[in-house]
Parts: sequence; structure tokens; C-alpha cells
Amino acid sequence: MAVYRRSRRHRFFLVLLALTSVTVLTLDYRGGGDGALESVRQTARDALAPLQSGAEWALSPIIGFFGAIGDFGDLRSENAQLRRQLDAARADAIRGADADRERERLLQLQGLDYAGGLDSVAARVISTAPTNFRLTITIDRGTDARVDVGMPVVTAAGLVGRVTEVSKARSTVLLITDPQSNVGVRLANSGEPGVVRGGGTRNPLALDLIGTEVPVEVGEPVVTSGLERGLYPAQVPVGRVRSTSAAPGALQKEVLVDPSVDLIRLEFVRVLLWTPSP
Amino acid sequence: MRSDPRLRLPIMLIGALLLQTTVLARMRVFGVMPDFMLLVAISGGITAGATRGAALGFASGMLIDLFLSTPLGLSALVFTLVGYGVGVANTGVLRSAWYIPVLTAGAASVAGVVLYALVGSMLGEPMIDGHLVTIAAVVGLSNAVLAPVAVKFVDWSLGSLKTGASLSS
Repeated sequence: MAVYRRSRRHRFFLVLLALTSVTVLTLDYRGGGDGALESVRQTARDALAPLQSGAEWALSPIIGFFGAIGDFGDLRSENAQLRRQLDAARADAIRGADADRERERLLQLQGLDYAGGLDSVAARVISTAPTNFRLTITIDRGTDARVDVGMPVVTAAGLVGRVTEVSKARSTVLLITDPQSNVGVRLANSGEPGVVRGGGTRNPLALDLIGTEVPVEVGEPVVTSGLERGLYPAQVPVGRVRSTSAAPGALQKEVLVDPSVDLIRLEFVRVLLWTPSP
Repeated sequence: MRSDPRLRLPIMLIGALLLQTTVLARMRVFGVMPDFMLLVAISGGITAGATRGAALGFASGMLIDLFLSTPLGLSALVFTLVGYGVGVANTGVLRSAWYIPVLTAGAASVAGVVLYALVGSMLGEPMIDGHLVTIAAVVGLSNAVLAPVAVKFVDWSLGSLKTGASLSS
């Protein structure tokens, strides 16, 4: 009898906790981006920020050590790849010094120094998302530095992502490799518009909406389109075409794009103080 | 360590949170990191039974949810269920062979990851794809490795709560 009562009480407690979770889930879902729960979240993030920085500082040798172990396999293949690239680059350098100069002039004419006219805020990457299910990073700037939701985040190499959440001293940036990320782009050579979708960590981006008749070159640069109501300003480099193929009968080409930014080892980024026009 | 037993639980939870968001967030294998907050829930179930496993899962899940961009309460719900399940399956194995908690943590972590992806998908988050297999495998293995430490840490934090007669009804 006692055992029976006990397990019933246990189950009651379990149901209570589960229902509380579901209630919070529902409230958060309905509340969208603002609401009481969001401010609880922001307060918690700002409260933990100094502790996190302290822990990061104190544990940095350990982080570096384990980070190095985790990266080892990557580094080896990256090293081999870099050697190959270096060889290729040496050959190219001799062959293409002149062509290079010409290309640079053309790029300048196209206005590819993209962030030129925009104000921006430099930020340090504090951490990647503490989850395996979302590709986000946390940066050490928030509303105090005029950062706001929707702002594009870049490095010198190109597009990193977009600010999705912001508190006083911290912001969350959704990386372009996250499956929920969509970026309006165009191919640099043909000017053909398309949409680049995240394919998960370490995977190339998928470029959609490119018709089978459009010529696409491997290595072709892909930049943001900046079309009206776009989420990003125009002409921010996104990546380069890695491969292209067309299944027979398909309506669009399958184009894969390598991001131009190394999104796994980010340290510093710039937030462009630009929000999409409503 | 002579500390106020009532402070141990918050210390453990904040410590676990800091560990997860700083060190572990950078220790990635195939882009996947251990899930220490899930491990806290599992350890709760292992050391203190179903009810406290559920309670600890709820607390650690809600805490990590504050720092994620997935819907608030998703981890709390999943960790509650996992903590409870481990407790039901496994009460009192703390004093059994050392590998029992390790295996339990591995299996429960895989179950937790899959459950998380299932519930997340129901809420419209794209979580089920080929990468899920990698996530489940890496989290299962790394959490199994971390299990002995986590179980000790959680056991310490529950301290008198665990043996207190008034709370153990």
C-alpha cells in the first residue's frame, strides 16, 4: 500500500513538472520575441555574463588544450589541404599577377568592399551555442552597443549570420550554416538570384532557385542580393561555388557553396548597424 | 568541504552551467559537444531516484533553456522525463559496479538527445536529419566518460537532501 501511494505521488510530481515545462513552452511560443519570458532570459544572460567571462579566463588553458585535441583531426586534413593550396597558389601567382590586378580593379568597380558605407561594431565571440541543435554564437556586445535583432554579422572574409536575440551585453548570432538560415544571394558572374540555405555544421550551403539553363562555374563568388525587403545589405560575400550538378528532369541545379568565412573558428566579428527596411 | 548544504545545489547547477557554456561548448568532436546539463538530470536519477531526478532535470533544463535560442522549456521537459526514467530504472545502483552508472548515462543520453529532437521537431524546429545520429553517438559516448565525475558532483550537491527522512517519502 505504501509503495503504491509513493509511486502515485512520484507520478503526480512528474506530471506536475512536465506540465509546467509545456506551459512555459507554450507561453514562449505564443509570446514570440517579446514578453515576460524574454526579459527573464535577457536578465539571466546578463547576470551570467561576468561569471562566464571569469570562467573563460580561468579555464582558458584547459579550453585551449581540449580545443586543440578536438581540432587535431581537422588540422591535419586542413594542413594537407593548405599545402596543396599553397602549391596551386604559387603557380597561380606567377601566371596570374597581371590578371589579378585587372580583377581587383573590376571588383572595386563593382563596389565589393561591401561594408564601406555602414557603421559597425566590433565584437568578440564568447562561445558557440551550448547545444548541439542550433548553430549560433554568442558575442560580447548587446543593446548597450546599439546592436539590435536582425543586424547582419560579418568578418573581413564575408557573411557570418544575423543577430537573432539581444540583451544588454550579449547577442546571439544565427550562423548561415544553421538549417534555419536562409540568405537571398546572387551569383557574381551571371547575376542570377537565388537563396542559400544552411546545411548544418561543417557542411556546405545549398543554393536554391538556380535554373538548369544558368551557367554556374565552380569557384564563382556568391554575394548577398540585397533585394528589397532582404534580410541583408547587398554585396556581402557569402562564399564560393563548390560544386554544381543537375539531375535529369530537375527544375533547378543543385549548387553547393562553401562559406567564405571559417565559421568553426571565429574569434572576432563585426556587427553592421543596419536593419532590414520594414 | 564544509559548506552549507543548502548552497550546494545552486553551486552545482551554476557550476554545471558555466562548464557547459564555456569549456564544453568548445570541446567539440565532429562539431558535437557533451551535454553536461542532461548528465546532471541523469546523475540525479542515478543517485537519488525518480522524483529528485525529475526535479533536477527540470531545474537544469530550465537553466540551460535560458541560454539557448530553442523554445524555453524544451530542455526542461525532456530532462525532467529523462531524470525520472533513469530514476525508475535505476534506483540505488550507486553502490553497484562502477560501470553501471557509466552505461546508464550513455544510454540515457542517447535517449535524451533523440527525445529532444523529436519534441523539437513537433514544435517546428528542424532537428531530425543525418546529423542527429552523430549527435546522439557523440553525446552518448562523451556523457558516459563524464558520468563518474557528474554522479559524484550531483551526489555531493544533493547532500543532506538525499538522506533527509522528511523529504524522502
